[in-house]
Amino acid sequence: MNIIEVRNLTKDYKGKRAVDSISFDVEEGELFAFLGENGAGKSTTINMLCTVLAKTTGSAFIAGKELGKEDDEIRKAIGIVFQNSVLDRKLSVKENLLTRGSYYGLSAREVKERIEPFKERFELDEIWNRRYEKLSGGQRRRVDIVRALINDPKILFLDEPTTGLDPKSRRLVWDHIDYLRREHGMTIFLTTHYMEETRDSDHVVILDKGNIIAKGTPAELKSRYAHSKLVWYTAQSPDSENLISRISNEFAYDADHYNIVTDDDLTEFIYQNKKHIRDYELIKGSMDDVFLTLTGKEFA
Amino acid sequence: MKDFMGFTRRNILIYFKDILAVFFSLLTSIIVFVLYLLFLKGTFVDALTGTMKGLENIVSSQDIEMFVNGILLSGILGSSMITVPYTCLQTIVKDREAGVDIDICSTPLKRWKIVLSYFTASSLCAFIMTSLILTVGLITLGFMGDLHMTAGSVLASYGAVLLGSLSSTALFMMILLLFKSSSTSTAFFGILTAASGFVIGAYIPLSRFSDGVQSFCNLFPASHITALIRNLLLSGISDKIDSSIGGLDNGAFISAVKETFSFNAVAFGKTFSSSGSVIYVLIIALVSILAMTYLYKKTYMRR
Repeated sequence: MNIIEVRNLTKDYKGKRAVDSISFDVEEGELFAFLGENGAGKSTTINMLCTVLAKTTGSAFIAGKELGKEDDEIRKAIGIVFQNSVLDRKLSVKENLLTRGSYYGLSAREVKERIEPFKERFELDEIWNRRYEKLSGGQRRRVDIVRALINDPKILFLDEPTTGLDPKSRRLVWDHIDYLRREHGMTIFLTTHYMEETRDSDHVVILDKGNIIAKGTPAELKSRYAHSKLVWYTAQSPDSENLISRISNEFAYDADHYNIVTDDDLTEFIYQNKKHIRDYELIKGSMDDVFLTLTGKEFA
Repeated sequence: MKDFMGFTRRNILIYFKDILAVFFSLLTSIIVFVLYLLFLKGTFVDALTGTMKGLENIVSSQDIEMFVNGILLSGILGSSMITVPYTCLQTIVKDREAGVDIDICSTPLKRWKIVLSYFTASSLCAFIMTSLILTVGLITLGFMGDLHMTAGSVLASYGAVLLGSLSSTALFMMILLLFKSSSTSTAFFGILTAASGFVIGAYIPLSRFSDGVQSFCNLFPASHITALIRNLLLSGISDKIDSSIGGLDNGAFISAVKETFSFNAVAFGKTFSSSGSVIYVLIIALVSILAMTYLYKKTYMRR
C-alpha cells in the first residue's frame, strides 16, 4: 500500500523550475531514499511534501491526505528531521520537547508518555535538563529525531540527517533509523549525501536538476547502471589477456593486477577458470557508479 | 489552545533564558539611570529651580527632588517599553534565519496563532519587565519620600505600562517582519538603543527640541505613553507643590514645569490630552496589528 503518492509535482521558484513534474510512490513501512546533489531539488520536494512550501502544479497524497487541501492532517501524520538543527539553543532538551509537543496540542504529560519508549534508546535521561547548545553533534541529532517522533508520525522525513556528523554518530543515527523501521514499522523518507546510506533502502530515486533520472531498488539500479569489477592478481602475460578478452575488452594492468570491468557474469567466469584465477577480488558496482553513469558527475 | 499557549511559553522562555539579551534590552534604561546619577538629576533640579524665582522658600527641596525622581522613573519605563519588546521580537528574525520557522510551520499550529503568539509573548515580556521596573521604582521612591500617588494612579500606571507594551510590540512586530537577517535587526536595535532615550525625552525634555523634532518624536507611541506615565506618577506631587504655593502664582509654576517636561505630547502644533494620547496609541497599535497580519501572511505562507 502506498503511503505517499506523488504525481507531476512541480515547483517554480523565483522564475526557475526547481522541481519539474516528478512522480513516484512510497510504500508503507519502507525506507525510501532521495538522492541528488545540492540544488537538485531534494529539499524543495521534502518541503512541499511537508506542507511548508506550496506546490506550483501536480498532486500528492501523503498518508491518504491530499497536499494543499488537507495540510493540517498531513502535518499530524509526519515527523521531520531537518538538515540543520532547528531546536532552541538556549532551552533545555526537556523544554524543547515539551514546547514542540504542545504545537500538536499535546500536554506535558502526553509528551512525556510519547517520549517514554524512546528515552532509554536515545539516552535522553542524561541530557534531559541540559541546554541544547551544550550538546554534542550526535546528542543534538538524537534529540532532533525524538522531536520528530513526538506526534507519533506515520512517516518520518529525514533531510540529510547525518551530514556533518562523525562516523560513530552517523552509525548511531542509522541504528536509530533501523530501530524505528523494525520496531515501529515507520515509513522513512530520506535524502542523503552519502551514497552508501542508500544501500539498505527499499527504493531509491535519483534527482538531477529537478528531474527524476532514475528510480528502483538499489539492486535494480546497480544492475542497470553500474558494472562489476574483477581485480585479478597475477603477472602480466599474453595468455592472461587472451583469457580476459573472452569476457571483456575493458581491462588494464596496474602494478600487480588486472582491473577488469564487465557486464558479464564474473562468478561463472571465475569458476570456469579457477585453475588460472586463484588470487582475486570481485567488486560489485556501487551506487556511486550508478550516480556517475547517470549524471556523468562524481557524487560529492 | 495548548498549541498557542505552548508557542507563547516558548517565545517567553527564549527571551528570559538569554541573560545577555535581557541585559541589552534594559541597556537604555540603565544608561538613563546612570546618567541621572551622574548629572541629569542636577540638570533637571537646576531647570526647575530656575523657573521658581521667588518661590524657593515655599516649595520644599524634597518635593522638587521627588518630582525629578519621578521624571527619571518615567524615562526608564519609556525606554524599556521600546527596547524590551524589540529584543523579544528579534526571535522572529532569528527563527527565520535558523529555519526554525519551517519547523514551526510544519506542525498543525495555525499561522494566525503563530503571529498572535509572537505578539502576546513579546507584550507579556515587556509588561513583566516594565511592571517590575515600575514596582521597584515606586518602592524605592516610597523609601525616599512621598510621591503623593493615589491607589488609582498606581493602578493606572500599570495600565499605561500595559498599553505601552502592547503598542510598542505591535509597531516593532510590523518592522521586524521586514528584516531577513539578525545582523540587520541588531543594527537597527543599535540605532533604537541610542535614539530611544531622546525620542521619549529621558535625556532632554522634548519641549527643548524644535517643533519638527518634537512632532517626529511624538509619532512614536512610547513618547505618548511616557507622557501619560509622567502625568500618573507626578500628578500627586505636582498638586502638592501647587498647593504649597497656595495660589500665589495662579498655578503658573506647575503649568510651566509640566510644559517644560512634556506632560502632554505635542505634534504638528496639536497638544494631546492624556485621553488623546491613549486614543492615538490605540489607533497606532490597531493599524500595526492589521499591517503585521498582512505582512506575516506574505512572509510565512510561502505560497
